[in-house]
Amino acid sequence: MSQSLKHLVLDSATDYLYIGIFEEDKPLREYYELGHNDHSVKLMDELTKLFDALNMKVTDLASIIVGNGPGSYTGVRIGVVVAKMLAWTKDVPLYTVSSLALMASGHTGKVLAWIDARRNHAFLGLFEVSETSMKALDKEQYTHLDTYKDTVAFDKETTSGKPNIKKLFNSNLLTHATHIHAVAPVYLRQTEAERNLNDK
Amino acid sequence: MIVLGVESSCDETSVSVTQDGKTILSNVVFSQITTHQAFGGVVPEVASREHIKKMTVVFEEALQKAKITAKDIDLVAVTKGPGLIGSLLVGINGAKAFAFANDIPIIGVHHIAGHIYANQIESTMEFPLIALVVSGGHTELILMKDHYSFEKLGETQDDAVGEAYDKIARVLELGYPGGPAIDELAHTKAPTYAMPRIQTKGDYDFSYSGLKSHVINLVNTLKMKKEPIDKAGLASAFQQAAVKHLIDKSLKAVEDTHAKMFIVAGGVSANKHLRSEVEAHFTHVKTSVPPFAYCTDNAAMMGIAGYYQYQKNPVSDSMRINGHSRLNLE
Ligand SMILES: [Zn+2]
Repeated sequence: MSQSLKHLVLDSATDYLYIGIFEEDKPLREYYELGHNDHSVKLMDELTKLFDALNMKVTDLASIIVGNGPGSYTGVRIGVVVAKMLAWTKDVPLYTVSSLALMASGHTGKVLAWIDARRNHAFLGLFEVSETSMKALDKEQYTHLDTYKDTVAFDKETTSGKPNIKKLFNSNLLTHATHIHAVAPVYLRQTEAERNLNDK
Repeated sequence: MIVLGVESSCDETSVSVTQDGKTILSNVVFSQITTHQAFGGVVPEVASREHIKKMTVVFEEALQKAKITAKDIDLVAVTKGPGLIGSLLVGINGAKAFAFANDIPIIGVHHIAGHIYANQIESTMEFPLIALVVSGGHTELILMKDHYSFEKLGETQDDAVGEAYDKIARVLELGYPGGPAIDELAHTKAPTYAMPRIQTKGDYDFSYSGLKSHVINLVNTLKMKKEPIDKAGLASAFQQAAVKHLIDKSLKAVEDTHAKMFIVAGGVSANKHLRSEVEAHFTHVKTSVPPFAYCTDNAAMMGIAGYYQYQKNPVSDSMRINGHSRLNLE
């Protein structure tokens, strides 16, 4: 029996939709496009096309890796529910990774990756990214962007980036989901209703 | 034909397995009601966050309880709208992924069609029929000349009847959800307040804003004068007026269309006063209200509606199928 070395990588937490199928760390086929509030229409449609083009089935996968936020609440849920469902129904190992780390992996140096969260706030993460690997330099957070920038040193900042999976495989940023049902997006923020309730 | 149904349009995460549009092999419903009670109503973002925590586990339970595997499923039927968009998208994308991975056709089904088809569980539809759809978001009369044919005769000009119940329950401090609370309290007493006559434009239209405002103003006036409020008598007066409006319009629709059957659908179909009034007034035609367990949102009704939709039009949707917060039934 030949062992599968193919991996599916998904991220829909930002304005860009990313879907990649890899053989070990080499991309077989990738989709990376700026969306127009249509990740829900595109994700499964494009994913199906990639599988068809490679004549693959979900059972051919050795793992599924999903960006689980932070980012757009609705966007991240679309990717996470698809990844959970594929992994659960076909018994494929599931891994989660920060959507900010995926974004930063496309760059090199000390990279500040951020996603706009309005009112001068952002979901952000700081990474040291080499040509072959990467690591996190700070905990990811929802904070005031300019204030944060004043307190840290970085080479470049970015709000998008096509994931480089090789760097992630060589990092400690992938988390194996031992219990698929329990996987949930990382929002980094309570809902407004919960915050209001807690303020009372 | 075995249909897997998926429903996530509001605050219930539900997956069902049904056979031939009739037999329920499983219907797993995870209700978020206790989560939303703290907020006094459904909070959309909270609902979406709950759906994604529960979606796959509800799938698993539904398959286990039905004692089947994905291989046995012929069709996936998922609610495509109307509803809370964030909640719908969790169910739709989960359903798409499941259908793709297991190579099963998928269709999007209208949520209200599901509520209507909850009547097929214990009754058998006879056409033409009039369906009264009553919930927190809908109050409408629909003529069905055949399976999966919907003609809207009229609808509310303002508030939905369930919405009026919730608002009045809040004013009377009866908690959330308001419908069952008012229904319970109303049964303890006869009406002790007069309610205004409800006027509408069309013969089959409804209006609840006037009745709602009347009750709210009455409560505010009594509070201002520091007079006691007879909550039970007021709940009873409101409920009788609200239900009478539904019955009057429905009777007219049944009469005018020579319908053979009258059915009630939607969350408010669980209302005990409405159920007894239907029984009392529609003795000349066949009637149906859904079993209590299937009045509120559930995936079994979606699977049954999906079966009839697919019988009428055996075309599956593509992987581009999306959710719609607003959607016409037709
Ligand atoms: Zn409903």
